[in-house]
Amino acid sequence: MQSASRNGFGAFLYDVFRWNLQGGLGLQIYRLLLIAGMLAGLYAYSFQAQHGLAVTGMNDIVSWGLYISNFTFLVGVAAAAVMLILPAYVFHDPGFHRVVIIGEGVAVGALVMCLTFIMVDLGGPLQAWHLIPGIGLFNFPSSILAWDVLVLNGYLLLNALVPLYILYNHYHGRKADEKKYRPFVFLSIFWAFSIHMVTAFLYQGLPARPFWNNPLMGPRFLASAFAAGPALITLILAIIHNVTNYKIVRQVFNKLRLIIVVSAIINLIMLFSEIFKEFYFPTHHSISAVYLFFGLDGHDALVPWIWTSIGVNLFATLILAFNPGKNNPRILLPAAGMLFIAIWMEKGIGLIVPGLIPSPLGEVVDYLPSWVELCVTLGVFCLGLTVVTFLIRAALIIEDRYEQKH
Amino acid sequence: MTHPKSEETMGKDDIVNNRTSRRNFLKGLSIAAAAGSATLMTGCIPDVSNASSEELKLKWQEFFKKNYRLMTQEEKNATVNRLEKLAHLRDGLDVQISSQAPRDNVLYGYAFNITRCEGFMECVTACIKENNLDRKTDTQYIRVFEMEPGQLDPSTGNGKFYHEVPVENKFYMATQCFHCENAPCTKACPTKATWREPDGIVVVDYEWCIGCRYCQAACPYFGRRFNWGKPEIPKEEINTKQHYLGNRIRPKGKMEKCTFCVQRTREGKLPACVEACPTGARVFGNLLDPDSEIRFVLKHKKVFRMKEELGTDPKFWYFID
Amino acid sequence: MKLSTLINRLYHPEISTSALCTATGAFAVLLLWFPTALFASGGTTVLDRIDKATEPYDNNTIESVQPLNDETVLARERYQGGTFRVLARKKQIVRFRCSNCHNDKPVTVKAGAQLTHGDIQLSHGQPGSLACIDCHHPEKRDFLEDKKGNTIDLDHSYQLCGQCHFRQKSDWVGGAHGKRAEYWAGERVVFNCTSCHNPHSPRFEKRFPATYSPASIERGSYDSPEK
Repeated sequence: MQSASRNGFGAFLYDVFRWNLQGGLGLQIYRLLLIAGMLAGLYAYSFQAQHGLAVTGMNDIVSWGLYISNFTFLVGVAAAAVMLILPAYVFHDPGFHRVVIIGEGVAVGALVMCLTFIMVDLGGPLQAWHLIPGIGLFNFPSSILAWDVLVLNGYLLLNALVPLYILYNHYHGRKADEKKYRPFVFLSIFWAFSIHMVTAFLYQGLPARPFWNNPLMGPRFLASAFAAGPALITLILAIIHNVTNYKIVRQVFNKLRLIIVVSAIINLIMLFSEIFKEFYFPTHHSISAVYLFFGLDGHDALVPWIWTSIGVNLFATLILAFNPGKNNPRILLPAAGMLFIAIWMEKGIGLIVPGLIPSPLGEVVDYLPSWVELCVTLGVFCLGLTVVTFLIRAALIIEDRYEQKH
Repeated sequence: MTHPKSEETMGKDDIVNNRTSRRNFLKGLSIAAAAGSATLMTGCIPDVSNASSEELKLKWQEFFKKNYRLMTQEEKNATVNRLEKLAHLRDGLDVQISSQAPRDNVLYGYAFNITRCEGFMECVTACIKENNLDRKTDTQYIRVFEMEPGQLDPSTGNGKFYHEVPVENKFYMATQCFHCENAPCTKACPTKATWREPDGIVVVDYEWCIGCRYCQAACPYFGRRFNWGKPEIPKEEINTKQHYLGNRIRPKGKMEKCTFCVQRTREGKLPACVEACPTGARVFGNLLDPDSEIRFVLKHKKVFRMKEELGTDPKFWYFID
Repeated sequence: MKLSTLINRLYHPEISTSALCTATGAFAVLLLWFPTALFASGGTTVLDRIDKATEPYDNNTIESVQPLNDETVLARERYQGGTFRVLARKKQIVRFRCSNCHNDKPVTVKAGAQLTHGDIQLSHGQPGSLACIDCHHPEKRDFLEDKKGNTIDLDHSYQLCGQCHFRQKSDWVGGAHGKRAEYWAGERVVFNCTSCHNPHSPRFEKRFPATYSPASIERGSYDSPEK
C-alpha cells in the first residue's frame, strides 16, 4: 500500500478521512441526510442560543426535558459496549473478538451524543470552562454531576484510545501488543458499570424527588442498558453484515440475543418491583408514578406513552425469549428494534419528566417538547450516527485488510 | 488503492464513486467548518454590531473572572464597577451594586405565622419590585397557598387563587427559598456557583453558573427559578440599589432565587416581604442574637419546618399564634 | 462450557490486577469522600448553633442603620432585649387633639355629623358589647382609660389593648405579633397596635390579593398567550 510509505499518523488520519468521503450511492445519500439533520439541529440550536431556553418546552417545574432524557438513555447505550468486551476478552469468544471494535465505535458515538446533549441543555454553555478543575471550580466529590463529568470523559478516552491504538497498528500491518492494552480493556469493563451507576446516582441522590430517590435506579439503569444497548448493536451488526464485506457469524447474534433476553427480563422484574412499591400502598411519594401511569388532575400526557412502552417492551422481550422462527433475523431484528425504542421511551421521557412532576409543592403540569428541542435532538442523533459510521467504516476497512494480510 | 486522479482527468465513474482529490476534500471541510462555526457564533455570542469597544472590553474581562467566593475585596470591587458600567452602557441605567460582605455574628432566620397570613400577597409584589424579577414570565420567588384546614402540605393547597381573601375556613401559607443549612442544592452544583454565605444566606454567583439546573432538581421546596429567557423589567420599575449576589439584573440562562434581600439585610434592613406584609405574619432577624424576635418565636411558639424529615435544616419556620 | 474451563478462562493476571486496582481506587475515594460528605454542613445544625448563641448581640454594629423618619416613643414595656420604641400615633390621628372640642367652652360646629364621629363604625368584639366609653377616658378626652382606671396615652394604646388581648400583647412585646419598622438591626422600633388595626374596627377587611400566580409559571415563557 502506497499510503503506508507516507508519514505514519498523518497517513492514517488522511486515509480514515478519505474513506469516509468515499463510498457507494447509498452511503453518500445516507451521509447527506445526516448532514441535513445536523444542519437543522445547528440552526435550531442557534435559535435557542439567541433567545434562551425559553424556546424549549421546559419551565421551572419540568426543568429537564428531552435533552436530558436522551442523555440518560444514551449513557446506557455507551455502557453496553461492555457486553461485547466481556465475552471477547474474558471468555475469549472468537466471534465476539471480531465485533468488539464495532461496539467501541458505538460507545464513542453514544458518548459524543451524551456530551452534546449536556452542552445543548446548558443555560450558559460558554461558562462550561468553569467545570475544568484547576481553571474553574470543580465540586468534587460532593456533586454527582462532577463525578459524571469525570467518568464519562474517562470512558470516552478509554473507548477512543484503545481502539485507536489497535487500529493504528493494524493499519500499518503490525500486530497490536495485547499486553499494553489489556489492562485498559479490563478497566473499561468496570468503568462501563460505573458510568451508568453514576448517571443513575444523579437522580437517585435527590431526596427532593421521591420518584427517583430509590435504591433500584442504579441496577435498573444497568439492566435496561444491557438490554437496549446490545439490541442496538445487534441491529448495527446486521446492517454491517448485509451491507459490507465484513461478515459476522451467527453465533454472535445468538449470544447477543441471550444477553438481551436476560437483561430485558431483569429490567421487567425491576419494573414490577417499582410498580409494586408505588401502588401496593400508595403514599404521597407515589404521586409521580400516579401521574405517569394514570394521569393526575386531568394531566395525562404521559399515560399512553408509558403504557405503549411497557406493552412493546413485554412483546419484544417475549419474542426474543421464546425465539419463534428459531433465530430468524426477520423476526429477531424487528424485535430488537422494538425493544430499543421501548426502553428509550421508558428510560428517557418516561423517567426524567415524571420525576419532576408534580413540583415539590405539588403543582402538576404537562411537558411537550418544542420544535427547537426536536430539531436539536435530531441534529445530535445525526451527529452520533455520523461519528459511529465514521469510526466503524474506518475500523472495518482496516480490520478487513489486516485479516487479509494475516 | 490507486493514486487519486487530478481533477481534469476525473471521469463519470469517478464522480459516481465520488473519488475526491485531497484539495477538494480540504476545501469542502473548511467550508463546512466555517459555515458551522458561523451559525453557532451568531447564536451564542450576543449582538456585537452595536456594542462599543469599551463594552466589549468589559464583557471580555467579566467572562474570565473568578468565582465570587474566591475573589479578594479588590477583585470584588472591580467586578462590581464593571457591572455598573455595563449597565450604564448597555441599558442606560445608573445602578449601585454593593459587594457588602456578611456581617459578623449574624445568622438570618425567618418565621411565618400561618394564623396571621390572610393571602393578601403583598409580599409577592414587594419581592418582585425589590428584586427586579422578570415581568415577562411573572417570576415569583414567593408562592402563597390557600390551604384546607387539617393539612399542612402545600401540595394539598391551591397556589393559583385569585378571589377575595381571606376565605372562611381556609388558611394561607407561603413558601420561598428556605436557606437551608444543609442545602441539597449547594451540594449538587458541579461548579460551586451556589453556596451558603457565613451569614446563612444561600446565594448564586450568576456569572459562574453554567445553567445545568441540577440545583433546581435538588431543591425540595421549589425555591429556585431559572432565567429561561432574558429578563425584562420596565425601566422605571428597576430597583437600582443592588447587590452582586442579590437583586442585580440577572443574565439569561442562569439560576436565581430568594436571597433574603441580601442588598437590604446586610444594611440592617428587613427583607421586602417582611416589610410589606400588612398583617405582620413575617418575622425576620438574627438567630445568633438571643434577644431577637426570631429567637422569641422559636422559644415561645409551636414552630415547624417544611419537609423536616429530609434533613435539609432550613432557616424558615412556620408557627401558629 | 465446564465450570473448570470457565474458572480457568476467568482467571487472568490482568483481571485480578485491574480489578484490584479499581477496587482499591474506589475504596480510597470512598474513604476520602465519606468524611467530607458527612461533615459537609459543618456537622452542626441550626438549632445547635442557636443553643450555643447565648451572648447578646450588639445591634449597633451595622453602620447603615439610620434613625427613622417617623416619630417614635419609648415603649413603657421592656422586651427580652431591654427597651424598645414604638411608632407614635398621635400625629396620624386626624382629629387629635380631642380636647379642642371636648372641653368646658361652648363650640360652634359647622360640619356637625362628620365632626361628631357619626362616621365611626364600631365593630369591635360581639355586636353591642363595647361602647365608646369602654376605652375612651370620660373626662380627659385626649387619653384612654382601662378598666382599672389607669389613664393611657394614645401613643401607648397597647397598654389598653393588652388588658383584653393580653396574649397578643405579650407576643407583640416579644416580637411574634406585629412588625418591626424598616430595620432588623439597630434599636428596636415596632409598629403600634393602631398602626395596623383600626381600633374601632380592628379586623382586617377582606380584599383582593395584590397579585396572583399565573399559569405561565407552568408554560415556557416563549409562547405565553397573555404576552
